[in-house]
Amino acid sequence: MKDINDPQKVQMKILKMTYLFSLLPIVSSLLAGEYDILFGFIFGLVIATLLLRLKYNNIIRALSMEEDSAEKFIRNRYFIEYALYFAVLFSAARNANLDFLAAAVGLFMIKFVVILWSVVDLLRDTFQSKFDEYK
Amino acid sequence: MIEFSPEVAETVITTASYIAAGAALIAGVGPGIGMGFAAGKATSAVRRQPQARGSIITTMLLGQVISGSTGIYSLVIAIFLIFGV
Repeated sequence: MKDINDPQKVQMKILKMTYLFSLLPIVSSLLAGEYDILFGFIFGLVIATLLLRLKYNNIIRALSMEEDSAEKFIRNRYFIEYALYFAVLFSAARNANLDFLAAAVGLFMIKFVVILWSVVDLLRDTFQSKFDEYK
Repeated sequence: MIEFSPEVAETVITTASYIAAGAALIAGVGPGIGMGFAAGKATSAVRRQPQARGSIITTMLLGQVISGSTGIYSLVIAIFLIFGV
C-alpha cells in the first residue's frame, strides 16, 4: 500500500474502488429490472460509506485521548454503529421496496474491497520478491 | 412418541429462533471489545512515535472496518431468524 501514511487518501481510494465494484450489481439489477435489489444495495452502500467516515472521525478523536478513555470511547462508538447497522438491516427487512440481502451486501461492499485489496497487495509483493530473486 | 399439535410446534420453533437470534447477537460484542483494545494501544503507539501517526490511523481504520463485519454477519443471521426474510 503506497499511501499508508495518508489515511484520507487511503479512504478515498477505498471508496473509489468500492463504487467501481458496486457498478456491476447496480447495472445488472437495473438491467434486470429488479428495483428492490437496486434500492436495497444503494441503501446499504450509502450507509456503509457514511459509517466509514464516522469511523475515521472517531479514530481521529480517540487518538487525542488517554489510553483508557480512548478504549472506552471506541467501544461505545462501536455499539452505536452496531445499533445503526441493526436499524438499517431492520428497515431493509421490513420495507417491501428494499431487498434485505442486497442491503446486507451493500453494507459489506467496503469490507470485501478492503480484503480483496489486501489479497492483491500480498500477491503482488510475493510475486515481486520472487521476480527480484530470480533477477 | 410425543406428538405436538401444529400450534405448539410453531410456538416452540418461534421461541427457539428468538433464542438463537439473541445468541447470534452476542457475536457483535466481541469486535467492540477488540476494537476498543486496539484503539487504546494505538493511542499509546502514537504517543511513542508521533511520526507514524498516519500509518497507525490507516492500519487501525482498515482493521476496524474488517473486524466490524462479524457484527454485521451476526445481525444478518439474527434478523433472518426473527423475520424469516
